[in-house]
Amino acid sequence: MFINNFKYSIKTLFRNKALIFWTFAFPIILGTFFNMAFSNIEKSEKLDIINIAIVNNDDFNNNVVYKTAFKDLSDKNNKDRIFKTHYTTEDKARKLLEDGKIVGYLKIINDEPKLTFIKNGFNGTIFKYVTEEITETSSMVKNISEEKIKKAIATGNYNIDYESIYDNVMNLIEDNNVRINNISSNNLSYTMIEFYSLIAMVCLYGGMLGVVAINQSLANMSNKGKRISVSPISKGKLILSSVLASYITELIGLALLFIYTIFVLKVDYGSRLGLDIVLALVGSLAGLSLGVAVASVFKSNEKAKIGMIISITMLGCFLSGMMGVQMKYVIDKNIAIINKINPASMITDGFYSLYYYDTLNRFIFDIGSLVIFASLLIGVSYISLRRQKYDSI
Amino acid sequence: MNIIEVKNLTKKYKKLKAVDDLSFEVRKGEILGLLGPNGSGKSTTINCLLSLLNFSSGSIKIFGEEMKPDSYDIKSKIGVVFQEVSVFEELTVYENIDYFCGLYITDNKTRKKYIEDAIKLVGLEDFKKFYPKKLSGGLLRRLNIACGIAHKPKLIFLDEPTVAVDPQSRNNILDGIKKLRNDGATIVYTTHYMEEVEILCDRVIILDKGKILATGTTDELKELAKIEEKIKVEVNDLDCKYIGEIKDFKNVDEVEYNWNMLLITYKKGKNNLFDIMEYLKKENIKYSKIFSERPTLNDVFLELTGKELRD
Repeated sequence: MFINNFKYSIKTLFRNKALIFWTFAFPIILGTFFNMAFSNIEKSEKLDIINIAIVNNDDFNNNVVYKTAFKDLSDKNNKDRIFKTHYTTEDKARKLLEDGKIVGYLKIINDEPKLTFIKNGFNGTIFKYVTEEITETSSMVKNISEEKIKKAIATGNYNIDYESIYDNVMNLIEDNNVRINNISSNNLSYTMIEFYSLIAMVCLYGGMLGVVAINQSLANMSNKGKRISVSPISKGKLILSSVLASYITELIGLALLFIYTIFVLKVDYGSRLGLDIVLALVGSLAGLSLGVAVASVFKSNEKAKIGMIISITMLGCFLSGMMGVQMKYVIDKNIAIINKINPASMITDGFYSLYYYDTLNRFIFDIGSLVIFASLLIGVSYISLRRQKYDSI
Repeated sequence: MNIIEVKNLTKKYKKLKAVDDLSFEVRKGEILGLLGPNGSGKSTTINCLLSLLNFSSGSIKIFGEEMKPDSYDIKSKIGVVFQEVSVFEELTVYENIDYFCGLYITDNKTRKKYIEDAIKLVGLEDFKKFYPKKLSGGLLRRLNIACGIAHKPKLIFLDEPTVAVDPQSRNNILDGIKKLRNDGATIVYTTHYMEEVEILCDRVIILDKGKILATGTTDELKELAKIEEKIKVEVNDLDCKYIGEIKDFKNVDEVEYNWNMLLITYKKGKNNLFDIMEYLKKENIKYSKIFSERPTLNDVFLELTGKELRD
């Protein structure tokens, strides 16, 4: 019975023209469009060196991490130079900002960075991300140094090996520079950001498949559901096999998109394709669970529910930067919570982090967020689906 | 032996009682008709019996056991044909039947045979590879039935299976239902077409506003109509004096004359047709048609509720 339901669920999904269009064809068409539109823009547009200012106070001058990092990133001889940095007073920095000569300025107060911008923009975002990276490294330097000193004192060793601590710190700073250099103008790509959003869209469109799987299994949702509900197959087994069929269909759609973008559009997803796939699998699960939850909780017809999934997906992808890269950063800056609960943003951000950062912290955070998102929705769905009888159908 | 036993079944939607203290049984091998107008509670009763709907009070036993949503043993012996066509648009006729039959029958060989039997029963041999949207309304209804009965259930619920079908398909469906009964199935058949009930059903329950108005065989029920015969005469411009004279005839209960149709209702008596024809001849009244009718279940319903079955 499980296999019979699974087999026919696959058949019905693959013969549903609307679903096939939205999950298979639409992303490929959109990907082709992105490739045509953005590759030309990228060819014609080379990012300029970004003008910034740093308040040259004691806090900055005493912070070796910030000082070294920004010096290196502003070095004229560095081929990966990002910034032209004005070291000045806060008043002058503010004046430069108001005159539009810099995108923003940084002030270090008690080892904490404070960034000031007048308006949002791509260059400002790079400045922000670089500063965040340096802050992270600075924090690590501080922690490692403190820990080593504490350990030495705890073991009664008062001859602390300051040379070794210094070497560790310098290694970290160098490592940090490598990472920051990766966020150089040569490596940043509009197209990649669009493609990440596109994959997020396909993952969330899996929700439509989830809606179909649930709707046709429940007596209070469809006539077919009524007929299936009076059969001797348990609801759990039925839903599991239908949802599994939906998940596999969704993964086939994703695989097609990956294959098409890698081999036809020549999109480079970086060197961590395995982790990209893991992210896509978890993202698809989140999308599917969104559909299952929408189908379980709302009592309306299938078309209305699919409309909801398309709307949620498009809005989520829009906010995560699919229709304009700036949007993600605007949301990040002003209403950060939106991107924290937006599954499209979690997926997109996960891909960013795999592409741009060496560490997996951010990726793991995104995967974790998606798992929590999916778990919550599956929990909500479970509560709704537990009902065996209905008050009205 | 009773296949279904329903006791004091009540289903409320807030203050409205959709099913009101229903008690009845379905005997093995019979076709029980649930007859009533739209909204009388037929489908709600079926949905309660199938454990799809919560009900407010009462008890339901099928095959001697309490019916619950997880009564899979009972469910495996039941077939249901819902009022609404419930098939997959994306699957062919054969695949649809295979899918629904596959929910009951796991053995491929047996299932194949059962599918062929079902296709033959509803006369869809030439449409196996057709998708539902290529089928006419009547053929679609036949497919709907095949999906519900392909697994050869012992108890079949047919909820208005002939709504909006052409006469050919209706006859085919009704013949199929008779064959199912002859093969040993017990059938619960809901409809608001009294003609179908008269043709098919061994016993009938007449429902209105969720209540049982009457139960019995069609002949038993017709006795409730308290009329013996209705004679209709198609006659133009009949004078009122004749209507008055006919009213005084022996056994005549009521006389109506509308749209050139004279309707004479008799409470009892025989040879009424002969008497009225003699009278018309004597008075030299020319008529184009005259025919006699036995009371129908509609007359029973009219007698019990004061309204027509299809009102």
